[in-house]
Amino acid sequence: MESKSYTTGSRDNANRNLEGSKTLMASHFLRALFRIQQTSTTRSSFAGRRRRIRRAAYASMAYSAGTRRAWSRALLRKLRSRARLRFPRRLSRAARPQRGDTDQAQVLRKLVPGGPGMDYCKLLEETADYIRCLTTQVRLMQTVMDSISS
Amino acid sequence: MQHGSGEVRGSMATSASAQMALHDDHGSQQIQNPGLHDDFFDQMLSGLPSAWPELGNPKSPWDASAAQKLFRIDLTGKPPDESQPEAATEGLRYASYDEATMLASRLPQSQGSGGSSPTGEAMMLQLNNRHILPVVVPLQAAVGGGVGESGLLPLPLTLGSGGAADPRIIVETPRDEMDGPYKSPDQNGGEELYSGLGGSIRAAQAATGQHFHHPQNHGGAAAPAGVGQGPAASASSGGGAPQQKQKVRARRGQATDPHSIAERLRRERIAERMKALQELVPNANKTDKASMLDEIIDYLKFLQLQVKVLSMSRLGGAAAVAPLVADISTEGAGARAGGDGAAVGNNDSLTATEHRVAKMMEEDMGSAMQYLQGKGLCLMPISLASAISSAACRPSAGGLVSAPPPPATSAAAAAESPSSSPSASALTVQSAAAADTTAPKR
Repeated sequence: MESKSYTTGSRDNANRNLEGSKTLMASHFLRALFRIQQTSTTRSSFAGRRRRIRRAAYASMAYSAGTRRAWSRALLRKLRSRARLRFPRRLSRAARPQRGDTDQAQVLRKLVPGGPGMDYCKLLEETADYIRCLTTQVRLMQTVMDSISS
Repeated sequence: MQHGSGEVRGSMATSASAQMALHDDHGSQQIQNPGLHDDFFDQMLSGLPSAWPELGNPKSPWDASAAQKLFRIDLTGKPPDESQPEAATEGLRYASYDEATMLASRLPQSQGSGGSSPTGEAMMLQLNNRHILPVVVPLQAAVGGGVGESGLLPLPLTLGSGGAADPRIIVETPRDEMDGPYKSPDQNGGEELYSGLGGSIRAAQAATGQHFHHPQNHGGAAAPAGVGQGPAASASSGGGAPQQKQKVRARRGQATDPHSIAERLRRERIAERMKALQELVPNANKTDKASMLDEIIDYLKFLQLQVKVLSMSRLGGAAAVAPLVADISTEGAGARAGGDGAAVGNNDSLTATEHRVAKMMEEDMGSAMQYLQGKGLCLMPISLASAISSAACRPSAGGLVSAPPPPATSAAAAAESPSSSPSASALTVQSAAAADTTAPKR
């Protein structure tokens, strides 16, 4: 059964089919989901749970990408700072206002984590990797949901 | 200059590394060019590192050194045999080593006939077919013509798609080579020579057609008389050849200052990234860069929206994550239904849940609704539930509905909360027929 492939803990055969990063992403996400389910009661708001699940998705994305990528570093920073109850950041990350940016470039900067801090060329590179990771995460979530529903 | 072909760009990246590697070789083998070239080279060096992660084409060192060997043979009149041991000592990694020797052997044939294109073209075409020479450098500068001999004409050897950039590179290499033996202090003189060579190169290009970038060729306007003269360093447009060039040569009529070179480099890198993005994003057949960016932005927004929606629809499923994570052999086992009904398809858990809901409904409707929603369930009228189940052709649709004594007007029917997944909607029918005790569809 497909759901068996996501039983973490043991790297069974199905898991070996995934690449290392995908496996990392899947295990991290599933553990986070389990934690959310355990800690949330029927009285907790659904919006809160939705937010937590969404944050778990982004966290597992950033965790699987590690610190290799600028976007994952920025994402981890954002997640950790939120966990610290929004302390005011001492250093405002170098977000040099880029001159000569098209409107589209500005929109892209807002969408990609860590966008404001890079030049256009690096922004495109990070966007490509971010999209790759996002599609993997979405596929993972869809698969988990399908296996739950079946 | 932007090249339409991604291969060119990709090859450019690889050639950059080749050129870097080559530079070391050059240093040992030829006299360093003074001043002007070094400045360009430094700029190239500073601009290149970011592109280097993609480098690593094992072919390139061979190409550079092989081409270098060819040129040197041409200039100094060494016998072609020397090319082989030298190439061997270079540690060529390229597989088709024989082609280098073939080229080397052919060079002397064309040496005497200054400016005879056919041999060069033949060699060029041959090498093109074999795709020996990868990219040419990000160096935009088009250097016209090869070393005065026709042997340089083979320089336009390039990969089919990467032709445009190669000619420039090839010309560049001979220039470097030429500077050594000829030691022309007069750059302008060299320029004339190169423009003359550019004319011959253009002739070859016209013959081959595809591989040469016409805008680059306009620079080589000098009289063909320049052909046959010694090579000299200068900028002009023309010819491709194995990348060996490490200096950027600006096109004729274009500023050779570092800013424009860096600009060009930057533009090429951006084009490279855009191409990579194009492969990731569906519906990426837009030729316009602006519309491509719009497409990318829309796709990114769509993906983020998908994450949001999937996290919403997972609320009910979150309860069932436990069996996944805990690696329990039988999913949805009735034993686990004690706390929270694990699998929705499980009959026992449903019945227990229904009882709980019924009790809660007697006390407080709101909390009952909340409890149901927490499980991803909702209340629906019996008629609707039967309509859904009958639509899916489930035999005993009414089983579930009639089982619990409905305290209120609307019976509590288990239905998966609306979600975007088609499997979830199928589940509503499935749960409606849960009384059937058929095994849940997996």
